[in-house]
Amino acid sequence: MILVTAVIKPHALDPVREALSYVGIAGMTISEVKGFGRQRGHTEIYRGAEYKVDFVPKVKVEVLTAAEMADDVVEAIAKAARTGKIGDGKIWVTAVDSVTRIRTGETGPGAI
Amino acid sequence: MLHLTMHLLAAATPPNASDQGYLNTGDNAWQMTAATFVALMSVPGLAVLFAGLVQKKWVVNTMMMTFSGFAVVLLVWVLWAYKMGFGTPLGHGANWKASSDPITNFFANFVGNPGTVLSGPTLTRQASIPLVNGGMPGPAPTGFALPQASVVYFQFVFAAITPLLFLGSVLSRIKFKVWLIFVPLWTTFAYAVNAMLLWGGGYWAQQGAADYSGGYVIHLAAGVSGFVAAAMIGPRLKRDRDRAIPHSLPLVAIGGGIVWLGWNGFNGGDPYFASANAATAIVNTNMATVAALMTWVIWDMVAGPAKKPTFLGAINGMVVGLVAITPSAGYVNGAGALMIGAIDSTIVWMAWTYLSRARFMKRVDDAMGIIYTHGIAGFFGGIMVGVFADPSVVVYHSVSGSPIAVKGWIFGGYPKQILIQFLAAVTIIMWDALVTFLILKVISLFTPLRLTDAELEIGDLAVHDEEAYPDSEGVSRALPGYGETMPVMPAGATASAVVGGGA
Repeated sequence: MILVTAVIKPHALDPVREALSYVGIAGMTISEVKGFGRQRGHTEIYRGAEYKVDFVPKVKVEVLTAAEMADDVVEAIAKAARTGKIGDGKIWVTAVDSVTRIRTGETGPGAI
Repeated sequence: MLHLTMHLLAAATPPNASDQGYLNTGDNAWQMTAATFVALMSVPGLAVLFAGLVQKKWVVNTMMMTFSGFAVVLLVWVLWAYKMGFGTPLGHGANWKASSDPITNFFANFVGNPGTVLSGPTLTRQASIPLVNGGMPGPAPTGFALPQASVVYFQFVFAAITPLLFLGSVLSRIKFKVWLIFVPLWTTFAYAVNAMLLWGGGYWAQQGAADYSGGYVIHLAAGVSGFVAAAMIGPRLKRDRDRAIPHSLPLVAIGGGIVWLGWNGFNGGDPYFASANAATAIVNTNMATVAALMTWVIWDMVAGPAKKPTFLGAINGMVVGLVAITPSAGYVNGAGALMIGAIDSTIVWMAWTYLSRARFMKRVDDAMGIIYTHGIAGFFGGIMVGVFADPSVVVYHSVSGSPIAVKGWIFGGYPKQILIQFLAAVTIIMWDALVTFLILKVISLFTPLRLTDAELEIGDLAVHDEEAYPDSEGVSRALPGYGETMPVMPAGATASAVVGGGA
């Protein structure tokens, strides 16, 4: 079992969700996050004072899936979230030791 | 509003409580209070109502256009537009009197001579609306018990709220610069003409059309103009339109409440006297509003998509009731007010639910649905003056001293009033649609009407460099002139300690 984590542009969330459903992913967790990479932040002005805002709003997508799905899932997210401009985000894959479905107590791949 | 050749009987002789003999301090105090209530409906009322209804990324832009629109209207109002709506008919001299000189110029029935209302004597002397004054000699007392300043400001807050209602149709894509150019032009060429036609003693006032506080002059005008403008400026970004989810219902509650109770000044100030008619207008306004609010909620519960009562449905119903009673607030009795609220709310609920599915309604992106809650609501509210106006509610005096009242079909046996109301509405629809189209067409020759798609993606930050709820984490202060940044002040530090007294 693996956990695929992607940090993407907020606008890319819909296409990513659709692409993941298409490859058979039935669930995911998302959160609004802020971060910075190579994409520059922006300037805001309040009462004449200028502020540099380095952190840019992003959406973090987490998908728990079987190890053999890893390539499909990463490819689906990358394709759907790519605009070609700086700030498209990153995807990483980590191994998962155990998964438990709380309602039934099932563990392992069946709990995904 | 004062009707040509009519004079409010309810006005008592002004007690000479001031060095200005015409002045009645009670009337004047109420007029200024009512005007302030109406001003509060715009800022902050509509500013936060709309801000709550838009997405988070458009909150600053929405409030900014509301406040700046309010500001630019006052400028053109005192420089030329008040006189166009309420001054001497076009082409006639400043000392023209309706009682002695006939109108010789055709256009004089539609608009007044532009001019300023800035000088000391202009503001402090007894208020005068020449075409209406001409019909007010009657039995003493004659004319207003107010200074001109009170009428200029009272009428300004109406002129100001109209483009702000219109704003609801074009939010979240109109360019700020275009907004600043459009508002003064629309106030000049559309609003001033609307006002003269119905309130300044112009053509439709002479024909007997009645619009107590602006069902046509304001709400129908804003609904129609907003719809035309929304069509010309084009829709919001598809993604914004597909999820036009309000970002804050509590802000809608605050704005909605201010708009509701501010309406006590909107309709209660229009007799120009702190009279029995003013009180009647206020209680009618609230009756129509609760009838419309509850009617909308019941329709939602009986036939809505989820058959549940919704808060935003209640707010829509509230607005429809307020708009519906506006043209008739001081002409109908309480039963009429309740009927008007319930009927108009039903009509607009049906239109909102079913007419909105028509292809041409879908194609035009009227962001806040102003064509429904103001355009359609105002149109039918105006028609219902002709149905429900009760001549026993208020009696005016004509030039010759004979009593006149606004009569409708049911209580006055005068169905022709419906036709007069209808034709006045058609005039406003055609003129305001045309003027809006021409103004935007001309502006579009010089600059695009809408923001670029890249700006629309970002919203407030792209247009103003401000956002509604800025995050103070991960922010550094850019020091002007030094080309470098430093962390924002730690909590408790004073500005001078951090930036060396240079800030």
